[in-house]
Amino acid sequence: MSGTTEPGVNMERRGVRIVDTFAEAFDMRAARVVITANSLAWAMTGARAMTGFATSVIGCKVEAGIEGELGPEDTPDGRPGVSVLLFAFDADGLSHRLLDRIGQTILTCPTTAAFDGLPQAGERVIVGGHLRHFGDKYQASKSLAGHRYWRIPVMDGEFLVEERFGVQKGIGGGNFLILARDQDAALGAAEAAVEAMRKVRGVILPFPGGMVRAGSKVGAKNYKKLSASTNDAYCPTLRGRSGVKSELPDNVNAVLEIVVDGLDRAAIENSMRAGIDAACRPGVVEITAGNYGGKLGKHHFRLHALMGTA
Amino acid sequence: MVKITGGKVYDPKNGVDGVVKDICIDDGRIAEKADGNARTIDATGMMIFPGGVDVHTHVAGGALNFARGLVPENQRAARKFIHTPERRTGIGGMTPTTFATGYLYAGMGWTTVNEAAVPILSAKHTHEELHDIPIVDKSTLLLMANNEFVLDLIEVGELERAKHVVGWMIWAAKTYGVKAVNPGGVAAWKWGKNASTLHEPIEGYKTVTAAKIIAGLAQIIDDLGLPHPLHLHQNNLGVPGNVTTTLETMKVLEGHRAHLAHLQFHAYGGHDWGSMKSEAAAIAEAFNNYPNLTCDAGAVLFGDAVTITADGPWQHLLYELTGRKWGNLDVENETGCGIVPYVYSDRHLVNAVQWAVGLELLLLIKDPWRVYLTTDHPNGGCFWRYPEILQLLMDVEFRKEQIKKLPAEARNRIVLADIDRQYTLSEVAIITSAGPARALGLSQKGHLGVGADADITIYPAQANDDGVLFSYPRYVLKRGEVVVEEGEVRAVSEGHEFVVRPNFDETIEEYIRPLFQKTYTMSFENYPTEMERLRHPDVTACK
Amino acid sequence: MITLTLREQPVVPLEAEVVTPDVTASLANDAIRALPVYLGKKQCRVDDFFTVEGQASDEIEIRGDAKQVKWIGRGMTRGKIKIDGNAGMHLGAYMKGGSIEVSGNVSDWLGGEMTDGFIRVGGNAGGQVGAAYRGSRSGMRNGTIIIGGTAGLEIGMRMRRGTIVVGGLVRDFAGLEMKGGTIVLLSGAELRTGAWMNRGTIVSLAPIPLLPSFLYAATYNPTFLRMYAKHLGTLGITIPYDAKDGGYRRYIGDSSVPGRGEILVWNPHAS
Repeated sequence: MSGTTEPGVNMERRGVRIVDTFAEAFDMRAARVVITANSLAWAMTGARAMTGFATSVIGCKVEAGIEGELGPEDTPDGRPGVSVLLFAFDADGLSHRLLDRIGQTILTCPTTAAFDGLPQAGERVIVGGHLRHFGDKYQASKSLAGHRYWRIPVMDGEFLVEERFGVQKGIGGGNFLILARDQDAALGAAEAAVEAMRKVRGVILPFPGGMVRAGSKVGAKNYKKLSASTNDAYCPTLRGRSGVKSELPDNVNAVLEIVVDGLDRAAIENSMRAGIDAACRPGVVEITAGNYGGKLGKHHFRLHALMGTA
Repeated sequence: MVKITGGKVYDPKNGVDGVVKDICIDDGRIAEKADGNARTIDATGMMIFPGGVDVHTHVAGGALNFARGLVPENQRAARKFIHTPERRTGIGGMTPTTFATGYLYAGMGWTTVNEAAVPILSAKHTHEELHDIPIVDKSTLLLMANNEFVLDLIEVGELERAKHVVGWMIWAAKTYGVKAVNPGGVAAWKWGKNASTLHEPIEGYKTVTAAKIIAGLAQIIDDLGLPHPLHLHQNNLGVPGNVTTTLETMKVLEGHRAHLAHLQFHAYGGHDWGSMKSEAAAIAEAFNNYPNLTCDAGAVLFGDAVTITADGPWQHLLYELTGRKWGNLDVENETGCGIVPYVYSDRHLVNAVQWAVGLELLLLIKDPWRVYLTTDHPNGGCFWRYPEILQLLMDVEFRKEQIKKLPAEARNRIVLADIDRQYTLSEVAIITSAGPARALGLSQKGHLGVGADADITIYPAQANDDGVLFSYPRYVLKRGEVVVEEGEVRAVSEGHEFVVRPNFDETIEEYIRPLFQKTYTMSFENYPTEMERLRHPDVTACK
Repeated sequence: MITLTLREQPVVPLEAEVVTPDVTASLANDAIRALPVYLGKKQCRVDDFFTVEGQASDEIEIRGDAKQVKWIGRGMTRGKIKIDGNAGMHLGAYMKGGSIEVSGNVSDWLGGEMTDGFIRVGGNAGGQVGAAYRGSRSGMRNGTIIIGGTAGLEIGMRMRRGTIVVGGLVRDFAGLEMKGGTIVLLSGAELRTGAWMNRGTIVSLAPIPLLPSFLYAATYNPTFLRMYAKHLGTLGITIPYDAKDGGYRRYIGDSSVPGRGEILVWNPHAS
């Protein structure tokens, strides 16, 4: 992946150069799960378990993360809740992941219930309708206001799960890279960016702590069969190595990448804008973004367009 | 006096096959000519048929009425007949009320109806309901094959006495013929059992077998000289593999006249529901070689039905298959009755095979004079859907399209797709009118020769929008009076009821009376039906 | 808005299934007045009994004591009927959509075999609310019926889905042969509640006598009831659900079928 630095208008924010380039993101399918429980803490426990090991579709088959907390007024059963987003390449894949993850981590987590968070989505996949078999025919369904729910008898009472979950189009792979003077600066800026981005609804940051330290490129130069390998152009210790065309300015010694998936363009733009702004602080040299020449993903987020109006 | 001009006449009994000729009517009968005062009906471009004769249907009496009560939801959904100056109120549907039954049959062009199952004990109820069925003429068949007086006489070999008892009973009930339903099986059902074999003793008896009942009754009827032969609903109705029972029954009937009722239900191969298949070809082949036998199709149509039959044990089995409603009546000392609402589904393998078997029999039995159009109404489908069956018989392309819609596995169990025969209009006239009239021994019905009752149906020559040809007669005449015109009942005449007076020794009553007093819960004086209960009785005395 | 004011009490019940928003939505005033209603076997006009104001609307208001007028709103699919007074049997039977509000009382078969829609009755109802007609396999298939007062026998008989809420005492056989859906008894019921129940939920906020074929399972606070509480709250109805206030005793039945239904009886904490 290359970040082209074009000559032309320079943009800076608080001394940090914003490269005139774009992030290239992809069509995905998205689902939202609203997890409620007796307390916010238990809903969060379930949500964390559900969204673990979900950093990249390539190795984990799904990208998932916590979107935000919900108060009793905003949940179907009036209890505290957490909303979680999942992204995969297609609805079929998503439906399997929902089934696996809700079945293994929410069904098993005390006092929880799982509701669909995309009621307007036209496409609807069966989730509770499959999970109900865990009830061994002792389950029961209830229909209310056009939605069907399954009550699965479990040891602490009943697990309530909606029969179908909505699936809509989403965007995966929004990103920006923070090029900093040293590891501490990079980390501090990335942490600030993540904190700001977590306040935006409609997005998740699938990687641990919201950031990636091992950004990748497609394929590999020196191993024939590898599908992805280290992004050598952005690895500080490889500057000057023969065969490596480094993209790093001289004073950059550490890079961290923020990857964001979102339900729509606006959500990704809002979160990237908030994140980049938070990352423009002392110790950071440049903000750039990753793309594939614009040929693979149809969603392009130009950094200058994003930050120009901010 | 009426003159019908310009129509194409189909009168197979008299060899008229689509010839344009005038039909003249005088005093309720077909006449040589009509004078100038005659009303003329211009039937140019139309087809003239003798009025339909339904040789096997269930339209009146205790069983029918019990069924009406069992399915109030059907009544709500059924066609409503609001009263008009000409017409009483009624409810159509699968178990039509009395007046509606007359309007529906006449509206379709059927003018004679044979109520196929009457117990002596409730014959009065049947006659009262027939009394209220307007327009059509009626006959009735008396249930005999599980009558304990008769079975007890067969047990001790007293067939001569049995003959007089049967004669007395036919006259006591004011009926026209004899019906045998699941011989011995309904008697056994009083013990919770059935009669699934022809040659083993019936429960409670040592020598009486189904075969003996069948042969015995057939002999008695021939000896009494009744116009209509033994009308037989065979053992093992509906059971996969019952082809062997049917073939064996045909052998038992050798040397006698007999009419095999709703033969479709008796033509199955396989050995269980999973392997059930059509054996119509084998049945038709055997039947073709028994000129002493007639039959009616008992064809099935997809959709709702209500099964009503004296075959109590079979109905209990059907109830267990459907798991829904079931009614069972016991008729003391005489017979029984079972009622189960049922739906024939074109997605259901067994029903698909049943649908094909009725048509296969109609197409593979060579002589149309010996096979008649029925659905065993309301068991296989409603009588007012007969035109749908005629369409399937007459249009092989349409029939093959319907076969394609059946479940794939069903098509492996039937031979219907290989049959290309199409019924001609003349053959239609035979299976709907001329043939059944002849089988019933009603010589004044089923044809348009001089002297016949002027029961005439005039159809347009083109099919209606649904492609069905016979569903909408332009005119229906009953004994020369126009009763239906353009689908509307114009006049409501009163039909006649045919009764036979067999020649039996009247002193048999001295045998019957004490037996009756001992075993029945009613008084003997109230048992026979008085002639006054019948409307316009038409009595035939037997030799 | 069309207003029908009852001027003349019918001497026998009047059958007025033609009074639905579907019919009146496109009719002029004189056409509405001429619509057929049946007095026994006699066909009459709407304006033989009602004064009619307005036209071409799918909102109908009926004023007066129409307790002898049957089948109002039969099979309606849209619009609104508001009855300022009482109404007769079969109100909203076979309804598919729209809403009916009655300030007074209604008679038997309210919402019989309805498939969707909303009915609210301020006063009392008769028997067979949302029930299957005789012989039919199912009663109401969806929809909501709210009754402020009491109700009679066999409410929700063979219902498949939908919700019935009754504020006052309910008579025998509530939820007879129930197949699904929810009945909420704010003041409990008399005898044989849930007889032959197959599936579905009966919630009673007051103690009720139970058939011996209903077996106690547990006392708990079902999550799904919180959803119902939230939904009913929007309709002005409060049901308890919180563990701090009490729990629901769950009885499974009717085991004589055997059914997988439940009766949930509210069991408040001693205060």
